[in-house]
This record gives sequence, C-alpha cells and structure tokens, in this order.
Amino acid sequence: MREYREDQPVDFAIVGTGAGGGTLACKLAEYGFSVVAFDAGPYWRPLEDFASDEMHQSKLYWTDERIVDGENPLQLGSNNSGKSVGGSTVHFAMVSLRFRPEWFKSLSILGYGADWPIDWREMWDYYAEVEQTLKVSGPINYPWGPKRPRYPYRAHELNAAALVLAEGAEALGIGWTATPLATLSAPRGLAHPCVYRGMCVIGCSTNAKQSVLVTWLPRALEAGAEIRDLAMVGSIEHDSRGLVTGVHYLREGRWRFQKARNVVVAGYSIETPRLLLNSASGKFPQGLANSSGLVGKNLMVQANQAVWGISDREIRSYKGPPSLAITEHWNYSDEGKDFHGGYSYMSQGPLPMLWGATQSSKRGLWGQALLDEMEKYNHQVGLKIVGETLPQERNCVTLTDERDQYGLRIPRVTHSYSDNDKRLIAHSLRFMRQALQATGARDIWDETDDTCHLNGTARMGFDRKSSVVNADCRSWDIPNLWICDGSVFPTVGGVNPSLTIQAIACRTADRIRAMARRGELITT
Amino acid sequence: MRAARITRRQQDSLTSLHEAASNLRQKYAVPDVLRTHVRPVTTSSREAQWRNAAGRQLNLGAALLSLSVLADSGIEHYRGSFQNRAMYVPLGVSALALAASLFGVLDTRARSHVLRDGLYGVAAMTGVIGLGFHGYNILKRPGRFSWLNLFYAAPLGAPVALLLAGALGRGAEKVREDRSSRILGHPAGQTLGLLTSAGLAGTAAEAGLLHFRGAFQNPGMFLPVTLPPVAAGLLAASVINPGNALRRAAKACLNLTALLGFAGVAFHAYGVSRSMGGWRNWSQNLLGGPPLPAPPSFTGLALGGLAALSLVDKEQRSPST
Ligand SMILES: Cc1cc2nc3c(=O)[nH]c(=O)nc-3n(C[C@H](O)[C@H](O)[C@H](O)COP(=O)(O)OP(=O)(O)OC[C@H]3O[C@@H](n4cnc5c(N)ncnc54)[C@H](O)[C@@H]3O)c2cc1C
Ligand code: SF4
Repeated sequence: MREYREDQPVDFAIVGTGAGGGTLACKLAEYGFSVVAFDAGPYWRPLEDFASDEMHQSKLYWTDERIVDGENPLQLGSNNSGKSVGGSTVHFAMVSLRFRPEWFKSLSILGYGADWPIDWREMWDYYAEVEQTLKVSGPINYPWGPKRPRYPYRAHELNAAALVLAEGAEALGIGWTATPLATLSAPRGLAHPCVYRGMCVIGCSTNAKQSVLVTWLPRALEAGAEIRDLAMVGSIEHDSRGLVTGVHYLREGRWRFQKARNVVVAGYSIETPRLLLNSASGKFPQGLANSSGLVGKNLMVQANQAVWGISDREIRSYKGPPSLAITEHWNYSDEGKDFHGGYSYMSQGPLPMLWGATQSSKRGLWGQALLDEMEKYNHQVGLKIVGETLPQERNCVTLTDERDQYGLRIPRVTHSYSDNDKRLIAHSLRFMRQALQATGARDIWDETDDTCHLNGTARMGFDRKSSVVNADCRSWDIPNLWICDGSVFPTVGGVNPSLTIQAIACRTADRIRAMARRGELITT
Repeated sequence: MRAARITRRQQDSLTSLHEAASNLRQKYAVPDVLRTHVRPVTTSSREAQWRNAAGRQLNLGAALLSLSVLADSGIEHYRGSFQNRAMYVPLGVSALALAASLFGVLDTRARSHVLRDGLYGVAAMTGVIGLGFHGYNILKRPGRFSWLNLFYAAPLGAPVALLLAGALGRGAEKVREDRSSRILGHPAGQTLGLLTSAGLAGTAAEAGLLHFRGAFQNPGMFLPVTLPPVAAGLLAASVINPGNALRRAAKACLNLTALLGFAGVAFHAYGVSRSMGGWRNWSQNLLGGPPLPAPPSFTGLALGGLAALSLVDKEQRSPST
C-alpha cells in the first residue's frame, strides 16, 4: 500500500471507508487523485479474523456511546452502524436494490418528502456500474420498474424461508422475486461462492460477500490510495478563507494532522453530522457546512417491523443469506394506500442469539417460556419490511456535552415516527400477517418496533437554504468540503440504501473528475 | 423310406425350425452368457464382426451415459436426502443399465441379448418417468416454470440422459442382430444418428443452462455450449445428406466432443477446488460444486454418434441386402 506524508496535502482526505467513502476512494484514486481514506475501525482479513460467533463478531459494530431519545428512541449498534474498514457493508445483509425512479422526484410526482437534484436515468447507469462491481446475483427478470441490464451473476437458490414468502405472495396475488444480493453465486477471481451458512450479518468469513472491503478497496489500493485504519477523525481544520485544509485524527494514542486539498466526510448518518458539528469554529460556530442549519436534521430510519410465525415444515431460516426472496409490490403499487411512501418485505433468517434476544426483549419471554420458544427455532418463519419513513426536522443528530473515549462530544440521536410512518407500518403488518397466514403458519405475532438503515442528516438539494450539499455532494458553504454517504439522501424510499449510496459515490467521482478538468476544484 | 415322403417344403421348414431352436439355445444358454468374453468370435463373417463392433461401440456409449446417470443421480439424490423413495430408482436402474452395457461391450457375438434388451427398455422407461417426476418437481414450486426453478429444481436433462442410454442400448442390440435393421421406420444408422444428434444438442442445452447459472465465470464454460452443438449439427447434416467432407468434419467434432467429456471432469474437479475449503472439504464441495459425473455423458453420446456415422456409411455403400 502506498503511504502519504501528513505534512504534504493530498488531493482528498476521506473520512470513512464504507459504502460512500470506500467507493469514492477507489474511483478518485483510479482517476489519478492522491487519496488517504481514514476509518476508525480495523482493516479486517475476513478469512483469518472472522468467527462464526455472534458475540465475537460484535467487534464489527459501532457501539461507542451515544444518547438516544424522542418518542421512538432508536436502538443503535449492530443493526445500523459498523466500525470497520469497509464500513457497515462488512456486516450488511447484501440486499442490493435500486430506487423506484419516481422516488427521485417524490415531492413533485408523488406529493411527499423532497425531490433529489439527480435524475433517475443518470442513476440507472451508475446502479449498473455498482452491480457489475459487486457482481450482484439477481433474477433474470426483475418484476418492477423500468428495464435494467442483466444482473452479472444469477440469483441464488431459495431457502425454505424464501419459499414461504413466495407462497404467501402468490396466495395474495402479488409479485415476488429472488432478491438481488451482493454475494457470489459462482466463483469470482480468488473469491469462493457463497456457502449458505447464513453468517452474513456478523461478517462473511468466506469473502463471498461483495462488501466494500473486498470490492472497491483492493482496487483503491491498487490505484495508489492509502487506507489508514484505526484512525478516528475528530475534527476538520479550515483556514481563514473558510476553506478546509485537512483533518485531525487520533491514531496509536496520538492526535495527528493530515493536510488535504479536499475533505470528504463519509461517516454515515450519525458520525457525519457529528464530525461537522464537532468541527465548529469561530468562523463557523454552527459547525461546518451548516449555514442552512440542516446538518443533523431530517434523520430517516427505515422501518423494520416483522411478522413471525411457526410453520409445520422445517424451515431452518438461518440457512443461506437472510433475505433470499423479496416483494417490492408496495413500493411500486400506490393503490389503496392510506400513507405516503412504500415498503418492501423480505424473508428472514435471524441467528440464534439475535432470535433469543428478540424473544426476550420484544415478547418478554424468559426462563422456561424462552427455552420452549427457542425449541421452535427451526420452524420459525418471518417476513420483515424495509419501510420508508418521511423526513422530519425533529428527527436529528445533535451534540451532548458528554465526551467519549476520544474526548469528543458524543451525539444525541432523536427519533419519533410520524403519523404517516405509523400508518405505513400498520399497513405492512396487516398485509404480512395475511401473507404468512396464507402459508399455513401458526402462532403469528407482530414485532412492532424494529428499525434498520439510517439516512439523511446532510441532505442534497437544489439550493443552499434547503440543503447541505448539491447534487455533486459538494457542500454549499465550503467548496472543498464534500459529503458522500447515506446522509445526503433527501428521502429514503422502501429499499435498502447501500446500492444507491455507492451509485452516488460513483457519480460524485465522475463529477469531481469533470470539475477538475475544467479547473473548478480548489487548488491550494 | 418315410423320409422320402417328406416334401422339400417340409424339409425346409424343419431345418429352419432346427436352426431357430439352436439359435435360441445359443442365445439364452446360461453357460454361454457367462462364457461370452472368453469365447472367441462365434461367427467368422466380416459382416458379423463389423455389426458386433458397431453394437459394442453403442453399448460403450450407453455405458458411459449410464455411469454418468448413476453417479449424478447418486450425488444429487443423496443431496436431496432421498426424500422420496422413488429417488432410489434411477440409481438401481442406471446401475443395471451400466452392467448390461458392460456386458454388451465384452460380448463379442453378433447377437442381441434378451437381458440387455430388456434392461435397456427399463432404463428408457425410467428416463421417461423420471422426466415426469422432475417436471412435477418444477411445476409444484412457487414460480412454476421459471428460470429459478429450471436452475435449482430437479433438472429436466438428467432423466433424459437415462432415456438416451436406454435408446442407444436398444439401438446397439438392433444393430448386432442385423445391420440393415430399421428403427422407427428408418435405417438404424440414420435414426441413431439423429437421436444422438438431438441428445448432444439437449445435453449442450442443459450445460448451457447450468453454465448460465454459473454466469460463465470461467471461459472454459463456453466449450460445452459450442463444440457439442457443432458436432450435433454436423452429425445430423451428414446423416441426412451424406458426403465425405461433411462426414469427416462430423467425425472430427464428435471425437473432440468425446474428449471434452473427459476434459469436463477435470474442469469440474477444478471447479470443486474453487469452493470454500476446496478438495479438503470434498464431502461438501462435491455436492455443492459443479457435478463431476455430468460431462462424461458428452463422451457417451459422441461415441454413439460415431457408431451411428459408421452405420450410415455402410448403409450408403451397400444398401440393405
Ligand atoms: C446489519 C446491517 C445490515 C444491512 N443490510 C443492508 C442490505 O442488505 N442492503 C443495503 O443496501 N444496506 C444494508 N445495510 C445498510 C448499509 O450497510 C449502509 O446503509 C451503508 O453501509 C452506509 O454507507 P455509508 O458510507 O454511509 O456508511 P458506512 O458504510 O457505515 O461507513 C462509515 C464508516 O465511517 C467510519 N467513520 C465514521 N466516523 C468516522 C470518523 N470520525 N473517523 C474515522 N472513521 C469514521 C466508520 O467506522 C465506518 O466504517 C445494512 C446495515 C447493517 C448495519
Ligand atoms: S451465507 Fe454466503 S454471504 Fe452469507 S456469510 Fe455465508 S458465505 Fe458469506
């Protein structure tokens, strides 16, 4: 790996190496820029470092102290944030979906949320680039939305849990399909195909999972980027003109400074606003890039409610990637909805400890009752949504006065569902219950309060008043400060976000190259 | 002088009865069955030798196909935990068809054998029934006749291989009996040529489907979808429209296809090594990786095709006597 000196400015210092930062680091390095990408987490070698052990693998999650509040406080950690080189994609579930095209113009076409300053047709090409890079395994014909190119690899075989989703969907007369997944259904280079052991959300130890760690980052290194792991960026420095000059970071017990001509923040929806707010100065007392006051605002989770039941058949839902089948029916059909937005739902494969924890925390089972329930583990089957929530300014990330192990002010994450969100959730639970019932499952119960992916907090938009960055992920306030991760989403849609984040990063890299050619970048 | 009173016609029919009886005796005598391979050629005519050679080559083709089915259904049905009792049937039947074929390969007499004939018939029937089972398996799944089910449900091509083994075997028996025999109303060579040509095309389609499932991730995966179809086309063409150049090209391609069957095993062995744990983890990767026993069915069919070609050749040179 190439290494850069701290006292000589690199073209780009990128904070975070996940879906946004890792992808951008690769593309920028390939375009000839000098790049150092920082991550607070370690650079894992999955074949040696990962164990098939839920407890042990919690080393992948971002579990630093955070304060949660609001009417529906979030449970932060395993299900929404990672701390590893490769970011949350190291333990993500690999579901790789495109947005419904109308969502890029939610406000003007569908009447809710906000419009994106990017056209869906442009995104369609970037999606294809990402799908190729991840060798996404997907169905031959995708039932919804405009035509898309053939997925590079074929869909995986369905497990019994996925077949239950399919049966339920067919019984209710809606479409379903094998889920496009970023895990290999055939060998690729040195990587083995998936072995269907279902350890995906604790980190894949075979490298079949096409995370940022094993796709973009090796290419980034090849192209001369430096990945500096175990390096926590605490603040971004700027000069008297208001241009950023580099980042302060803690590594090996010491605060250091890396000079850079441009800084990209890609720490995901909590750490990104936190870093911008923590970098407040005399010149920017509200934090960097925050003249709109919107940094940290409009945090959007995705609803992750589920319906579970017991099947007479043996299901063993933990076999294979957890979400092998999906229906996007309620993303694409707007008929009969009493809410804005959409949701998809997928088959599930919770690992045993998570399942035990779900039973005790969500249903209050303990002692013998819990043991009895766990006996049914091989027969349990469920459907779970990824549901769109609407942007609300009251859902936000702010700073507290408490400090963490780095001495940095810790974030407060405030979250409440809107009435629209609640109607969407109620609709999904009703519908999934019917679907599960139609397959003959019994003892059905609703898991009403889970959430997954985070998005928003530094939205992109059309002007500096109503957004933090423009379509190119460039901050309105500071022309050499960029934000490129899930936090730029103005709306979230009802699909998992990582494909869109990577597509945006690819687009941003192309835009940066074009601007550099035209001499529109800051050269200090 | 009673004998004198026997008319010539009566005498003729008696002799033929006698012959028929001795033929039958020869054919079904148990010690004969057991001694076939140690006994030298029973008939010395070149014609009979030649018939026998063509028959044995077809037996060899059927043997390879049966072996492929035996190993493949063994592995795949084991993988399917023999959930249905019927899943044992193709193992038994293909083992018997294999035994019959080997017997045929070793049998140097220009005669068919009722045991082989019967077993080949059972194999072909089993293939047809298996096709029904596999079709049902596909259609009962959500998605019905979809790509996903064609990829992962019970494969349609596998039982057809057993049907082809049976058909080639029956052909072998026919040819041994009488070079000018006809199958389905056409000279045996023609019918067998078209049958193997169709079989090759079908097997290539099956390989194509499964290699498409594997996203043709290795360039070698294109071989079985290019070479055998060309061989199949040339074979069919030279059956329908015989000519020297065409026949030579068909022969060359069939020979290459026969080799490809073996090369395929090596490719698939490499494929197994590409799964997590490689050959060290053989007990899992043999089941999950590319099927080792599948490619030799190309060899079996190619041998069948070559035998058919030489039959057609003879048929052309000396139209049935
Ligand atoms: C369990 C789970 C399952 C998921 N499943 C799916 C799925 O199936 N499909 C899908 O599309 N999405 C899924 N996601 C979501 C997806 O992983 C995230 O949306 C995506 O990775 C976010 O990308 P990002 O670049 O914004 O942030 P991340 O990928 O989280 O990367 C941020 C990185 O920045 C680092 N960082 C943050 N702050 C600092 C700092 N100050 N200094 C240094 N480093 C810092 C972090 O350590 C982290 O590595 C899942 C997420 C989880 C947790
Ligand atoms: S099921 Fe496949 S993708 Fe998931 S952890 Fe296992 S090998 Fe990796």
